[in-house]
Amino acid sequence: MNQKISKKDISKLLDELGKEFKVFSPSRESGVTTFAEWDGRDSSFLEWYRNTVISPKAQLQPLYEKMFSFHKDKEGYHLELPPPTDKKLIFGIRPCDAKALMIIDKTFQDTYQDPYYLDKRKNTLLVGLGCTNPYDSCFCTSLGLSPTQSSDVDLMLTDIGDEFLIEAVTDRGIKLIKKTSYLKEATKTDKSKAEEARRQASSKVTRRLDTKDLAKRLLSSFDDQDFWEKVSNKCISCGICTLLCPTCYCFDISDELVKKEGSRFRSGDSCAFPVYTKMPMENPRLEKWRRVRQKVCHKYEFYPMSFEVIACSGCGRCIRLCPVNWDITQILASLPVKVKA
Amino acid sequence: MPVSDISYRKRFLTKDNVYLPHLVMIEKIIDETPDTRTFHFNFKDKGLREEFPFKSGQFGEYSIFGIGEAPFCISSSPTRYDRLEFTVRRVGSLTNALHRLSVGAEIGFRGPYGNGFPLDLLEDKNLVFVAGGIGLAPLRSLIWNVIDNRDKYKNIDIIYGARSPADLCFKYDLKNWDKDKSINMVTTVDKGDKTWKGRVGFVPQVLEEVAPSADNAVAIACGPPIMIRFTFPVLAKLGFTPEQMITTLEKRMKCGIGKCGRCNIGNLYVCRDGPVFTYAQIKDFISDEY
Amino acid sequence: MTNREAEQRLRDEAKSLLESAKVDYIVGFADGSLKFHTTPLITRNKDDVDHLVINPFMASNLAKFLTELEGRVGIVAKGCDSRSIVSLVQDNKVSREKVVIVGIPCRGMINLSKIEQLAGKESDEIDDITRQGDKVVVKLDGSEKEIPVKEVLFDHCLACELPTPKEYDLLIDEPIPATPDEEASQAKINKLEELSHHERWRFWQNEFSRCIRCYACRNVCPACYCQRCFVEEAEPQWILSIPKWQDNLIFQIIRNIHLAGRCTDCGECERACPVNIPLRSLSKEMYDLVGELFRFKSGMEIDAAPLLTHYELEEAEDFFR
Repeated sequence: MNQKISKKDISKLLDELGKEFKVFSPSRESGVTTFAEWDGRDSSFLEWYRNTVISPKAQLQPLYEKMFSFHKDKEGYHLELPPPTDKKLIFGIRPCDAKALMIIDKTFQDTYQDPYYLDKRKNTLLVGLGCTNPYDSCFCTSLGLSPTQSSDVDLMLTDIGDEFLIEAVTDRGIKLIKKTSYLKEATKTDKSKAEEARRQASSKVTRRLDTKDLAKRLLSSFDDQDFWEKVSNKCISCGICTLLCPTCYCFDISDELVKKEGSRFRSGDSCAFPVYTKMPMENPRLEKWRRVRQKVCHKYEFYPMSFEVIACSGCGRCIRLCPVNWDITQILASLPVKVKA
Repeated sequence: MPVSDISYRKRFLTKDNVYLPHLVMIEKIIDETPDTRTFHFNFKDKGLREEFPFKSGQFGEYSIFGIGEAPFCISSSPTRYDRLEFTVRRVGSLTNALHRLSVGAEIGFRGPYGNGFPLDLLEDKNLVFVAGGIGLAPLRSLIWNVIDNRDKYKNIDIIYGARSPADLCFKYDLKNWDKDKSINMVTTVDKGDKTWKGRVGFVPQVLEEVAPSADNAVAIACGPPIMIRFTFPVLAKLGFTPEQMITTLEKRMKCGIGKCGRCNIGNLYVCRDGPVFTYAQIKDFISDEY
Repeated sequence: MTNREAEQRLRDEAKSLLESAKVDYIVGFADGSLKFHTTPLITRNKDDVDHLVINPFMASNLAKFLTELEGRVGIVAKGCDSRSIVSLVQDNKVSREKVVIVGIPCRGMINLSKIEQLAGKESDEIDDITRQGDKVVVKLDGSEKEIPVKEVLFDHCLACELPTPKEYDLLIDEPIPATPDEEASQAKINKLEELSHHERWRFWQNEFSRCIRCYACRNVCPACYCQRCFVEEAEPQWILSIPKWQDNLIFQIIRNIHLAGRCTDCGECERACPVNIPLRSLSKEMYDLVGELFRFKSGMEIDAAPLLTHYELEEAEDFFR
């Protein structure tokens, strides 16, 4: 049997969850929508119905994080790992952002386990919230996603008017429902309202991306320098699309030293920057078209070759936030249709 | 030659954290050329040396805490138990800081990473080593490895060159290999000086002159990209097939374990699926950015 | 001329520039893939120029692309863009003979975030935005709302001193005189000046904690054309590559110092920032300081010498002997 909760009770629910977890919910700071710690603030984010500028991936792979600290004494160096992470609950994650976490899990688990990301991932519960009013830059439906349903969260909430329908997706979700108050049994009409809301939301996603044979088409156009130069000429090589993309994970490692103590940090990096691949004597991606080609092919060709999933969840942030309105769906639609034998 | 099983290396992680370096001490410093130094190092925890498994051609990520981390190949052979070495050329802030270290200094070490040379493919073959400048460092590990198991391999030709006599690395090894009757050691320089009495010429040219036979042979080349680009056609002319040519590629690396994304060539990561590749694999690369 | 007529004239001129081989590239604005957005159009193909538009959403400073393109460029320039082009010519980064400046007199560009705040909806939910004289009509949910245009123009447009390019090869429409409203433009910055030093420091700490070091502010700026930016230096390392708020703040301060005398207050840095950091509050401060101390405004006169990289044998001030 499904449960439901009244929108008026969400604040109380979050307060109750806050006793066991560190709860993160969508919030707005200086006009920028992001995820921040819930401390009894207003729950007006429930009226937003669309995704945030800063994706909740920032809770698992922060802007910068300490890997370990070191200090030197007469015995030599001592290295200390940071304290273990708290249990977190991300409330209100959208299906595109949840799928994105599943996509980047594959990299962090592959061959070597990345302790920082995986530790946080294990200790984070996801409560999904469906988008009933997606942006015109969203194209999640082209990548096999629905704006209102997700198999990558622990609990999924669907807006049915004054209430949310709650569905458990994982065992952790079932356990969470069992210990939560404010929930009521959902009726058949609630479920049909939810299905109607889902249908309407999916029809609002109008931007399309044709993913048929996409990897093959990119492979056959890989050496077409004219195409890549034309497509990249207005890109300004900033890092906005990559640093805000929920499926991008590239990072830089650097040290900070203050007198005899310091730390090693991991921070976001971008393949759009020229220095990303710079070596002392040469730089294989000096030209801008090579970097643009790398970004597009990595997401839609190389990542599927290694992990059988396109490294994109159609959240549309790259299109919405690009200062020159560079549009990945237009670029991929303009790929020459030749497929080499 | 992608990495499939690294279970033996998992035992070697510090506190199960793949990014946490081991502490190693510098035991000896040798000046190879005006801008290149070889460091002999050993683990601070002496017991770790017993467990440390590595193959020729693998690299480590060496840290100077407070400045950063960079990858360098392990230039000593795994058969030589008494030493671990790496060779550094001074080009930037970290390498300059490494050159300022003295014996007894403590640095960080993570590794071994990379796929290493495929020794099984070299057994019972004639080996042709072609190296330029500091490119001799990864090959040196392999050469000593081969010499220490000499009867497993057939003829050995080593063709090594540098910009000038002062830029020749591992001069002490060159002398030893020259004395070894079972090795054909050819040293050359791009430009001689007043005291140089040996060969003068670029490595690919000298390779063509020496003309080692491709019959039952494998060529292993390592050096600056421009030298490699001219070496492969010469080897092809001498009859080597793409499967008979091996090289190690160099790219900017940070994590060394295929996570940070920057060393990729198509869907392969040079740090994890390389840095050793055959020319047959390189020809199949999706991208020419290496 | 109406907007339509001006657009047609622009397309005809651009086409003839390409056909007569006077230029290799045309750089202008085309409709973006999102509502109320434009995107730069950089093309060698004369059929593509039919996509050129003139509308109140052409905020980008196209002079940025001049330092990247090789060959002769026909560039669509509003007043502020022409100042950036002149500044680049003075810095010897762009050769005047290689640029054909197609001037577009500008009434100011509409700031979508201001409209979104007043309408209470985001731009993709708004049906239409049209400028009618000194009013902007916003159509949404079947109703219309009229807003005085001064409330929705960019802050830097409110202070505009050169709506019509002074340096041009062609002018597409009738010149528009400058009507700067310095007070309206400075409203946000004046609020900062009312704070105590301590409060200001806290303000900037809060703002720069959001900075993700995307470098969009640097990359949209036509005056930031260094091949190797100071943030990429490792010896010595001026700032960390870790986006700590202190380093983010120092990055902007040093960037503004490097741009002193060359910044034309085009406002692109603040518009490009994805996390709404009020960067113009810093760059306008520098711009005003330069105007006050040196009585110099960048990009106004093609024959003027650049401010901080020009030397005379004769000393200008009489307190030096």
